[in-house]
Amino acid sequence: MNELIYNFAVWLDDTAYSAMLHESYYMYNWVESTHVLTLMISLGMLFLIDLRMLGYAFPDVPASKIAERLNVPMLIGFSVMFVTGILLFYAVPVRSSQSLWFRIKLVLLVACAVNAYLFHRRMSDSVSTWDGDAKAPDRIRLGAWLSLGFWSIVVICGRFIAYDWMDCIRDQPAFIEFLAGCIEGQTRF
Amino acid sequence: MPTSILGPYTRTIVTGVIIWITVVFCFTLMPNAYVGIFPFFEWMETTWFGVIGKTWGAAFAFVQTIHLLSLALLGGAVLAAEGRILGLLLTDVSAQIIIERCHVLLVWALVLLISTGVFMACGVALKVYYLPVFWYKMLALGTGILFHFYIRKPLFRFDLQQINPIVVKMTAIASILVWFMVAATGRWIGFSG
Repeated sequence: MNELIYNFAVWLDDTAYSAMLHESYYMYNWVESTHVLTLMISLGMLFLIDLRMLGYAFPDVPASKIAERLNVPMLIGFSVMFVTGILLFYAVPVRSSQSLWFRIKLVLLVACAVNAYLFHRRMSDSVSTWDGDAKAPDRIRLGAWLSLGFWSIVVICGRFIAYDWMDCIRDQPAFIEFLAGCIEGQTRF
Repeated sequence: MPTSILGPYTRTIVTGVIIWITVVFCFTLMPNAYVGIFPFFEWMETTWFGVIGKTWGAAFAFVQTIHLLSLALLGGAVLAAEGRILGLLLTDVSAQIIIERCHVLLVWALVLLISTGVFMACGVALKVYYLPVFWYKMLALGTGILFHFYIRKPLFRFDLQQINPIVVKMTAIASILVWFMVAATGRWIGFSG
């Protein structure tokens, strides 16, 4: 599996647009800046929704209004982050695909998506009974805490991708090499 | 409430003038002050924050993450409040409630941003001292804080219906722009030097 991912990443790395994107100082920085700054829309809105459920923000505004109205800008933000994230991966495919932090980030993104689905389902099932309460019920609050926790770790992992502590190009313990998917004798990093 | 620009807007005008003088200072007399504060930046690198930031890359990166998360919270608070004022978001909720609740979140986000920002600046004090974009960021941050607390907040204490709608919308747009400038210049520090 790791060899398949590596070969795919090498193929991506060999495409002209990947090299152009990576080597273009301004374009790469614009894409990266857009990816980071869109946090203010996507995570910003998500934080407001989660903090509302926990009772720390807008306690006197119905929870359903906050969740529904802020959902649209949040999804727009996430869409931009998704597209720019793919472009960033495409610019540096081999290193990214073998980054332990990137792999943890992907797993957590799946966890975030599952948590968001469950959160919205639970909320739509029961919101009419607690909409005006300052705090949401325990199950919804658990979802909000998980959302805050998962997304915080996603941002930590995203930040750590920039550092080469766990890169395959360095000597790593076997466990880290296994998790990062380092290939024996690989020539591209 | 009268909409005369010399009436309830006096405080706003005074703050605007202060911001304008600050900007003029930064681009004219600043070079003299710039040399004078160099020892302060040298000292920053010798503090505990500076030593930790320079020695443990992971600690620096972790604090950077908290800085980013605070920025996200600040962005959310600004966009929700200004979106409501511009009639784009939460239009069926009282604007005053949204503005007041978002202000509390913004203050918390600012406290976190400044605390983590000081830590990060200590770790790379001499690097940022020579970066023009760092000074642009400080200027943008100072403008943002002054604008928020001394122009936007006093202005939006009034009933929005009674304020000139153009002033209301321009203030909301200015708020988004100034905080975006703070974030964008901060991001640009990462690419510089």
